[in-house]
Formats: sequence, structure tokens, C-alpha cells
Amino acid sequence: MSDTEKIRTSDEVSAIDKADMDLVLQVEDLVTNFYTYEGTVLALDRVNLFLRRGDTMGVVGETGCGKSVSAKSILRLVEPPGRIEHGRILFNALDRKTGEITTTDLLELSEKEMLGIRGAKIAIVFQDPATYPNPVFRVGTQISEVIKLHQDLSAEGLEMRIEELGAEIKYRELQESDRIRRSEAEKRRKGSDYDEKDQEKETKHKEKYKAQQTRMERKLGYLKGMIDNPPEPPKLYRDAVAMRRAIKMLEMVKMPAADRVVMQYPHELSGGMRQRALIAMALSCNPNILICDEATTALDVTVQAQVLNLLNELKEEIGTSIMIITHDLGVVAETCNWVNVMYAGTTVESAATDELFSNPIHPYTSGLLQAIPKLHENKERLDQILGIVPNLITPPPGCRFHPRCEFATEICRQDRPDLREIKPMHFVACHNPQGSF
Amino acid sequence: MDDNILLKTVKLKKYFPLTGGVFRKVVGKVHAVDGVNLDIVKGETLGVVGESGCGKTTLGRTILRLLSPTSGKIIFDGRDITRLDQKDLRSIRREMQIVFQDPMASLDPRITIKKTVGEPLIVNGVAKGQQVRNMVLDLLQKVGLTEDHLNRFPHEFSGGQRQRICIARALALNPKFVVMDEPTSSTDVSVQAQTLNLMKDLQDEFDLTYMFISHNLSVVKHMSDRVAVMYLGQVVELTPQDLFRKSYHPYTFALVSAVPVPDPRFAGRAQILKGEVPSPINPPTGCRFHPRCVFAQGICKRQEPKLDDMGGGHFVACHFAGELDFGISSQMDYASAVGRE
Repeated sequence: MSDTEKIRTSDEVSAIDKADMDLVLQVEDLVTNFYTYEGTVLALDRVNLFLRRGDTMGVVGETGCGKSVSAKSILRLVEPPGRIEHGRILFNALDRKTGEITTTDLLELSEKEMLGIRGAKIAIVFQDPATYPNPVFRVGTQISEVIKLHQDLSAEGLEMRIEELGAEIKYRELQESDRIRRSEAEKRRKGSDYDEKDQEKETKHKEKYKAQQTRMERKLGYLKGMIDNPPEPPKLYRDAVAMRRAIKMLEMVKMPAADRVVMQYPHELSGGMRQRALIAMALSCNPNILICDEATTALDVTVQAQVLNLLNELKEEIGTSIMIITHDLGVVAETCNWVNVMYAGTTVESAATDELFSNPIHPYTSGLLQAIPKLHENKERLDQILGIVPNLITPPPGCRFHPRCEFATEICRQDRPDLREIKPMHFVACHNPQGSF
Repeated sequence: MDDNILLKTVKLKKYFPLTGGVFRKVVGKVHAVDGVNLDIVKGETLGVVGESGCGKTTLGRTILRLLSPTSGKIIFDGRDITRLDQKDLRSIRREMQIVFQDPMASLDPRITIKKTVGEPLIVNGVAKGQQVRNMVLDLLQKVGLTEDHLNRFPHEFSGGQRQRICIARALALNPKFVVMDEPTSSTDVSVQAQTLNLMKDLQDEFDLTYMFISHNLSVVKHMSDRVAVMYLGQVVELTPQDLFRKSYHPYTFALVSAVPVPDPRFAGRAQILKGEVPSPINPPTGCRFHPRCVFAQGICKRQEPKLDDMGGGHFVACHFAGELDFGISSQMDYASAVGRE
């Protein structure tokens, strides 16, 4: 946020300075272009976003305003012909064990290092639950794949092996005592017929059992000795542990009959259940950031309410910061505490949800708020924003909103407004801000 | 009153056969529309809402005879069209049109807009030659497009404009009745507002009767004079009143309160309905909503409730209609709070 930086330095102790420490993600002047045959699509033009730790941040805007491209740029998933040209994406990762915060610029990482971030530290849930999960793998396999890839399963694997070995020793003990009981009964039945041969057989059995038992106990002791420094578990145990965690994750997202669902294929689940499974998959590595790219758009209102409620609950449980990308202002009001409004590849307004909804300053934001049919009003006509979203190959010069803006003046046509802090914690990119400030 | 009714359905049913096995035997039926009685009065907009899979779209298509009904009656303008053959249907179809959900899929990508919109005129022998062009231009101008657009192809338009073209095509034959099947579900808020305003204007201008199908409750409420709420192929509530203020059916209430309120002060108050819509292949016995209903009692399992008039043309299909206390939804809270301000 280079533009706000100037303001910040002039202020002695600004509120944002304190909040700055807590930022988990900071996108600065991000530029992403798509080089198509028709020309260069300027999809993101100096986008600024920030996400505070523990917050739910919403990104709203119309189709083609760059919401999804921002999310993909953050994860470096922009595919050719698209390219990230400029900017910084600062990610302040928190190590949950040590509590250390490390800052990295995601755009400077190598592709290999990026693999360690995607899914593990920043996870994403995509829009269409019908196409996203792989149809030929079981739900459990897909979730446990993520877990196996990113998580250290050795401790749990060792635990599982110790548990299993202990159980086996106990089982053998029971078996042995059972055998002894039976052989004693046999002895009584035979009476005087019980000869040396039988006696020999009996001792042989006992010796064999003892040898086996000591061998297993020695192994158990060996495994227990490794508990401080657990080794990589064998594949069988990795799979089993990962599957067990997958079931736990599914239970956390309130999937009914989770142990059955892990063995099912995605097509056997309904849309809402599939979206839950995807959320479970995304959260399975305790990511610092969860990005929901229109995660509830394809769902019915009642199911959407279930999923949104779930996200709100999980945020507190796991301590993940969530970035919700949506075009539905209702969803934003329901879940987010900070909102970024985007228009044609630029951030036009950024403020706390209460502030933005009660006091929209950018003409586009207020137009957007007025265009939704309200439940309580009986209006004959809706207030509409005139015109259509501009073509991003040849975006309008100056402020990209000026052709549709009723307050546009000469400066709007020539000069691109910067995002500035118009009042404390309310950032607007407009030459003629409306509303009270 | 009867003269005013443009379209009437009597116990309309549409089942889809479910085939399986080697010989594609019919192994079950999907109860898509199951006994719907509706009257649509001339000049009104009847909104139809419900979750996906509740049979809204099937109802719309069956009414237009794009799907032939399994049983029941459809009476359009005093004429029973349930069993008409294709030839007779053609004349009826001039009077009733449909606008589909996905405008890109319902426009032929290989012919120009002039041809697309002009085709119904030519097929029905309404106009010829130069006359077609003038009529098409007239229609396009009515939906807010210009002469430049005449010779363009669908891919050259934006989503909102394509939907306008579909509307122009539907209006080409001057119909009385138009089914709007989720016309704005694929468009953005600002374009949606434009399309909805346009539809209202055209309704006044052409004296149209709409059946407006959508899953978006606020859009339906904005557009409609009366709203029918569907659940698993049946109409559970039909109300001329504001759905958000007064509802008698527990499903309507749950549906309404699940709509996110665009005001952060009312966040997190949605009443959350458990589970999901059951399969329409084996719908629950009795009241179809009973497995998810918090008020369900013994009778709900056994007996199917009838659509009863609660007074003022407000019909509800619930055994305990009017006796249940739902509490206050976030929508009502919101409405009263905004009212006070």
C-alpha cells in the first residue's frame, strides 16, 4: 500500500500501524495481464488488498472485475496467457508450534517453494463443487492426499504402530491364556493317558509363545524409544493415519456419517456435502489463510446458510483468516468484517463491513448497494448503474468507473485516483468522494 | 373472476421415468411436479420460488407444453391445451413464450441477431422481407439495443445484452403470457437491476402476464404480485402478500430467513434448516417437508396437507397453518429497523 504509506508516515500513531503487525496477507500494487490475440487484457491494475489475522475479508465486485484473478495471483495459479507483471504479495506466515512469524514475498518464491505454500499455508475452495473434486478418486483418498503431502505424520504414525503392537500383544496374551485353559481341560480329560509326548508339546508351545512375546515387547520398547524423534512411518501407516485425519476433518465440517463418506466418490454426494468435503480438504492442513472463491454461489440459500455458518464456526476453531470472494453483498454482510470492493481490475473501496454498508463513499459502491432488490421495500423500479462493465483490453483512461459515474468530472477522465485513507480505516479511490467523511 | 384467469392448472403432474438395468426398464419415477393447482390472472406476475430440484423449471415448461404432462389439466385462455397435438399447439405457442436461464445456450451462435429475432415472425407468417427487418429493429429498440446490433452474432454481446435479445425474441409474436425461467441468475447485480426494470417496463407496454421463476427470493419479491413457494414438486404456499413479512408455512419461513441480509448489523441470525432436500424419486410420505420441519407431529407423517385459503387469497399447505409461532426472522428485524430509520 504505497499510497497509504505516505499518509501513515505523516500520522504519528495511526490505527493501521498497530494493525499492520497483524496482517497475514498484504497485496501491494499487483498487476496481472493476460496476453490474448485480441490484445492485452489488463485484468488487475495495481490492486491493493490486505487481510488481518483472524479476520474474514470479503472481496466483492461484478463479473470480470478481477476477484478470482486476484485469488489466483496470490496462489500463483495464473496460467498462460496470463502473467503477474508487478507487485508484492507479502505473506506473514505464523508457525503454529513456535509462534514465529516469517514474512515472505510470494512472488519471489520458486515454484517448488510455492508447492509448500499452496494447500498447506494458503488453501482455496473453488466455486463449482460439481467439477472441482476429481471424480475418479474417493473423497477420503483426495483429502488424505493433501494431508500426506503437507503434514508430518510420523508422530501419529508411530503412535498408531505402538497402539497396534500393544493391542496385538494383549490379543496374544488372551489367546495364550485361552490355549492354556483348553490344554488343561484336555489334561484332566485324558487323566492317566496324558503322557510325555503331550507334556513336551505343551512346553514347546509355551517356549514359542514366550519367545514371540519377548520379541514383540522388545520391538514395542524400541518403538517407544523413538517417540521423541519419530521416523517416517511406513506407507501403510501413513495412509491409515492420513485417512483417520481425513475422517476427523469431515467430522469437523459436520459431515453426516463421515466414516462412510470417505469411501464414497464425489458424484455420490450432494452439492452441499461436496462443498463441505472441499472445505474439509482445504482446512486439513490448518492453513493460515483460506480463500473461498465464490464457494457458496452454486448452492441453494438454505444450504448456503449452512455452509456460511460452518465457516464462521471453523474460523474460531482453527484460527484461520478467511478471504471470501463473492458477488453477493448479502454474503459479505453476513460473514465478513472487512470488505474490499473491486471494479474493473482496481480496488475502489476498502473498509470495515459496518462502515462500508452504512456509509459507502465511492459512487460505484453506493450504486451496487442500491441495485440489490431489498426485502423490505416496495419499489416499482430498482436504482440501476447505467452502462456496462468496460472491456479490459481498452479500459477507460483515468478512473475506470468514470463512464458510468454520475459525479464524473474532467479530472476523472485524465487521472487515475489512488487508494487513499479518506477517513480512519476507510480507503477509497475516488476524486469526487460522496457520502460523509 | 373466471374471465380474468389467463392460465389455470388442475392437479398438474409431471413424472420422469427412471430407467435402469439391461433392458432400460422403468425402475422408478421422479416426481418433478406433483399435483399443482395454480391460477394466473391476466396482467399479473406470478413468482415461483424454491430450492434447486423443487420442480420450478419443470412446472414452467410443462405449462408451455414443452414437456407433456403426466396427468392433470392446463387451461390457457379458456381452452384446454393438455392434449393438443403439435399442429394445434403452434397457434397457441404464439401466445405463450419463454425466456431461458442461460442466454448464451439459448441463442444460435451461428446466426445473426436479426435472424434470431426475426425467425418467429417468418415461421408464423407475420411478416416478410423488409417488414421483418423493421419489426426486428423496433423490438430491439424496445429492449434497449440499437440498429448497429442487427447484424452481430451472439458472442459479440455481453450477458445482459444477450438476455435482452432473448426477451426481444420472446416478445416478437406479441404473446400474452411469458415464462421467465431464472432470467437474471447468470447476471451481475447491476445488470440484473437493468434487466428487471426492462421487464417491468415491457410488461406495462405489451400488457403481459409473467410467470417469474427464480431461486432468488428478493428478486421474485420485487417482481411479483403473487408468489408461489414450491417444495419437492408441490406448492406449499401461495401468497399475494409480502413473503418476507407474513408466511404461514415453516418451509417458507426457513427459506426466507436463510437469505443473507445485506446489512452487517443483522449478520448470523439466519434460521438454519437441517439437512437437504430429499430425493424426488421417493418423496417422504404425508407432508413432504416433515423430515426437516421443527414443528412436525404425527399427523404430518401420515396425511398430506391440502392447500387451504387463510383468507385474502393466501393459500398454505400445512396442517398447523396459522397456529405456529416461528419467532422473528432476521428479515423482519431488518425491515422494521429500516422502517424506523
